[in-house]
Amino acid sequence: MEVPGPEPSDEALAARAAAGDALAFEALVLRHQARAYRLASRLVGLDGDTQDAVQEAFLQVFRKLASFRGESRFSTWLFRIVTNAALMQRRRRSRRPAESLEQYLPRFDAQGLHAATPAQLQVAARAEELLDRQTLAQRAREGIERLPEVYRAAFVLRDLEELETAEVGLVLGLEPAAVRQRVHRARLLLRGYLGHVAEVEP
Amino acid sequence: MRADVVCSSGVELLMEYLEGALAPEVQADLEAHVAGCPRCAAFLASYRATPPILRRATLAALPQDLGDSLLAFLRRRRG
Repeated sequence: MEVPGPEPSDEALAARAAAGDALAFEALVLRHQARAYRLASRLVGLDGDTQDAVQEAFLQVFRKLASFRGESRFSTWLFRIVTNAALMQRRRRSRRPAESLEQYLPRFDAQGLHAATPAQLQVAARAEELLDRQTLAQRAREGIERLPEVYRAAFVLRDLEELETAEVGLVLGLEPAAVRQRVHRARLLLRGYLGHVAEVEP
Repeated sequence: MRADVVCSSGVELLMEYLEGALAPEVQADLEAHVAGCPRCAAFLASYRATPPILRRATLAALPQDLGDSLLAFLRRRRG
């Protein structure tokens, strides 16, 4: 009989689940499903099937548990599986190419000075005050949808799920510098897009 | 050598700046530029604000039956 103690770690549960303990597997599912659902919903896009992606991801977790060696944290391994399942979900749907966000990048004059005024440059920061909640929620998902594929997962993991840059690198198989570069590009595009939306929609 | 930051080169340093990944002398040059440039101060404010605004705007409500339906699905598929 086990002595009641602190909650077992993910890695301990994963080892028990890999050895055939169904309750340990279900404990892992219950512990991580909300996080997995949120991540998948941010990655699959507006008309994506989040639930399908999450189901597929946990099925893969179950099948691959025996190969989880604890070389990374369980959560990092899980994020990688959920991310890939969500991206597969996206690719299964035929989609029109999204309109680029490049037009919202900052502009500079010949001396390298910002072309816009401080008030214009600031407006993205006021999006929550200028837009109603529903419009902002819709536009936010549309903007993320319009990011180039290579930036989207890095941005979602780093800035929306708030993983450390190094962990995003482990999930995506990238050096931290490459993660920073992708997240930075995504931030520039989305900052300009958000400012545009906040200026024209109220 | 000093970095001679202008707005356009400063923008490219912001991610590393916010992560504390810049060399100290480059960070000092960037901060000096931003302190004297209202446009870059405004840009930095909106650059910094963009992730949390989008994070709050994309918080999905979890389906009520997420736990039960996911476990039921997995029990069926595991056999």
